[in-house]
Amino acid sequence: MSDARFRSRSSAAASLLLPLALIAIVTLIGANGTPSFEGTVTLILCNLIVVLGLQVFIGNSGVYSFGQLGFATAGAYVAALFTLPAAFALLQTPGLPSFIADAHLGPLLSTLIAASVSGLLAMVIGLPLMRTSTLAIPISTFAFLVVVYNVVANWDRVTGGSSGLVSIPTTTSVESAGLWAAAAVALALAFKWSSSGYRLQATREDEVAARSIGIGVMRERLIAFGISGVLCGIGGALAVHQSGVLNPTTFYFGATVTTLTMLVVGGARSVLGAVVGAIAIATVNEVLRGVENGVDLPGALSIGGAPGLAAIGLGLILLATMIAMPEGLSGAREAGELGWIRRLGLTAAAPLPEPDRAVASRPAVDPALRGALRAEGISLAFSGLRVLRGIDLELEPGEALGLIGPNGAGKTTLVNVLSGFQEPDSGTVTLDGVDVTGRSPTRLARDGLGRTFQAALPFPHLTGLESVAVGAMGIGVGRRRAPAVAAEVLGRLNLLEQAALPAGSLSPAGQRLLGVARALAIQPRYLLLDEPAAGLSEAECEELVEILRNVLRDFGCGILLIEHDMSIVMELCPRVQALDDGMTLRVGTPEEVQADPAVVESYLGSSFRVAAGA
Amino acid sequence: MTELGQNLIDALALGCLYALIALGITLVYTVMGMMNFAHGEFIMLSAYALYVFAGLPFAAGVAAALLAGVVVALLAERVAFRPVRGADLSTQLVTSLAVAAILQNVVTVAVDARAQSVATPSSISESTSIGGLSVPNLEFVTLGLTLVVLGGLGWLLYRTRTGLAMRAAAENFDMARLLGVRADRVIAISFAISGGLAAAVGVLIVMQTGQVSPAMGLTPILVGFVAVVIGGFGSMVGAVMGGLLLGALTSLLGVYLPEGLVPFRDAIVFTFPVLILIFRPHGLLGGELGKARV
Repeated sequence: MSDARFRSRSSAAASLLLPLALIAIVTLIGANGTPSFEGTVTLILCNLIVVLGLQVFIGNSGVYSFGQLGFATAGAYVAALFTLPAAFALLQTPGLPSFIADAHLGPLLSTLIAASVSGLLAMVIGLPLMRTSTLAIPISTFAFLVVVYNVVANWDRVTGGSSGLVSIPTTTSVESAGLWAAAAVALALAFKWSSSGYRLQATREDEVAARSIGIGVMRERLIAFGISGVLCGIGGALAVHQSGVLNPTTFYFGATVTTLTMLVVGGARSVLGAVVGAIAIATVNEVLRGVENGVDLPGALSIGGAPGLAAIGLGLILLATMIAMPEGLSGAREAGELGWIRRLGLTAAAPLPEPDRAVASRPAVDPALRGALRAEGISLAFSGLRVLRGIDLELEPGEALGLIGPNGAGKTTLVNVLSGFQEPDSGTVTLDGVDVTGRSPTRLARDGLGRTFQAALPFPHLTGLESVAVGAMGIGVGRRRAPAVAAEVLGRLNLLEQAALPAGSLSPAGQRLLGVARALAIQPRYLLLDEPAAGLSEAECEELVEILRNVLRDFGCGILLIEHDMSIVMELCPRVQALDDGMTLRVGTPEEVQADPAVVESYLGSSFRVAAGA
Repeated sequence: MTELGQNLIDALALGCLYALIALGITLVYTVMGMMNFAHGEFIMLSAYALYVFAGLPFAAGVAAALLAGVVVALLAERVAFRPVRGADLSTQLVTSLAVAAILQNVVTVAVDARAQSVATPSSISESTSIGGLSVPNLEFVTLGLTLVVLGGLGWLLYRTRTGLAMRAAAENFDMARLLGVRADRVIAISFAISGGLAAAVGVLIVMQTGQVSPAMGLTPILVGFVAVVIGGFGSMVGAVMGGLLLGALTSLLGVYLPEGLVPFRDAIVFTFPVLILIFRPHGLLGGELGKARV
């Protein structure tokens, strides 16, 4: 077994076992109640599986979908239609193809088919939907929910139309629902801790930074969308085999609001949160429904029945959670990450992975080819404002090139063009001789181009180790090796002390260095650093220079350094390119560039002259 | 020919209604960055004002509906949305979903879950014939109201100080604040106008259907959201275009679909935006044009 792990075995075990224990308790309570109570508990467990389905997509991607209940509907109808007794099938769904109507499958097989169909549907639907923006996905998935409703409500001959289906075999016991729920917890956790899960979480934490380390946002979202579809389909299939009836509104808007409330109140980012939220809200819901139907409270106070009361209660809970406790009951933590579990002494601290010594810049595609990152004649205008006007630039592996110029000279825009975040109006970018103009940032990162940003863009909820490891995962390093790569990179940058801390809790300087480490984890041949020293103290600047010198020596990648602090540029870069107003003023040694009257003029005695005179 | 003209006018009228919904949603989105799920419930609550004041002259009912729309929107902003101002998109979206669920069920508890019928003036349901076309009076009202709203919004946004402040806030909220734009006031005004637009839509829907129900806000909010997505987020022009397009499509499909497919009209209508998004992931006016948000 490899040592390359993000958490101790005991911590991982706690994260899995606590939700399983909760499910076991709920199942046992249900199994020992009256038949009607047992039925209620069974439905709660089915709901829990749907909520876990929501967690897989929403929790890890941070993108809300209002359409997942459409997959529960699909799963429920598929499971129902494959199991309807012949007499009822003829009566309710005369248009059903005979291979389905005559199938009369058992509970397990029908659930598995339902899971496959809803998973497949999610992949097919997700293919166009995941292409849209983070804000458009909630709306297009909402539209999907309505489309599903419209279809099942009107396809009378196959789905029974708006009156729905009855006499569906009731085969789901509380025990089987409990087992499925346990399996769903294991699947959700396994996904969250997989390479794909980590890459998706990185897109949730910062989409731009995620793309810069080779993560394909659409692809990762699509995978989670599919898994979510499978879980929702299972939940729907099991539920319909508990209640025995199904109609188009069973998993429609009301259920969407309820399950989302469960997820959010529990804490969407964690699997534990999904389980806790589902159980807590279901309990509250049952109590409120009791009130809704009219109960006599002690003290002769009688509250009359009023349908809708429970929904108001849930709405208020959801509202209060969003305003006062957006992380939810679980604090968005898994069990192994909870403070009180750790204080019990049951879980060990995360071990530091054995560093992978083989990390360095990757070899050129063809060692004989004298590669370089080359830009030729790059021009770009923003609605008429010409930001770049025919810039050439060349950066070789192992070389450090300083890029200087006053604010607005076009330095960052040039880096954006080189790294694929901006497409130039004209000009070409070649990477080791290959024309890469117009390639996506994701693709360029995998091709060997790393970058940092003026803002640190940390992954706040991932630890330092995870943040860097996900960079390695972005270019396809396996889940087992990635932590070792991260440990090695962090070690070389003297950042190991911060490996176990959430990136969001680090100092600005720490986050900045972590950003450099993250970019190095993709093992780039060329590394573009956008003002890495901004906001750093003098001591921290000296440390940065030391680190970058080591990077040049150890990793062998070419570094393009945008920096205002001339002393840093002088120390690191034998060659400097000065920009002004979107054009190159001068390329040469720092001394030559500093002595160039045009360069001095462009700064008009600002920081440059001060630094030069110092 | 006459039939075509008739259908086109129907399509335009429905498009205008949808454009009004999309405008109400966009107005809040541009200033606050929140897609407001509760906008459908603002529409629903305004419609219920007509039901509650059914005994009064219809004009008084309309006034009550307008007041209800504005007041509810302002209250929701103050109580629920202000605390999550500046939070991420998802937090705001889910918050507005919570408000929607609460409002809808408050009406369920206070009145009933079932639909209630509301009497509307008979003059509304009559038609006027123009050049061989028989145009329902309600469509005149819808078209006229849309023109008035568009003109009024244009005047407000481009001819008044308040409008300038709103446009500044839409462009760069923090910068606008630093320059002395009063954030609370600008956002409150946006919500008030949005609530007023919701009320207008609510009244139009009641005049058309003659009934109110707690769930009546669901279709409008979906229509409005989709129109906003089609139009490219945050552009007023885009919202109007998206609304017109979606309304026209809905109306024309209702007429020209083969009979067997008519029940599936909604499914087809709401699949259409997905098709647009395949080719234009950021909507019709997304990108360059969409950046001029107001």
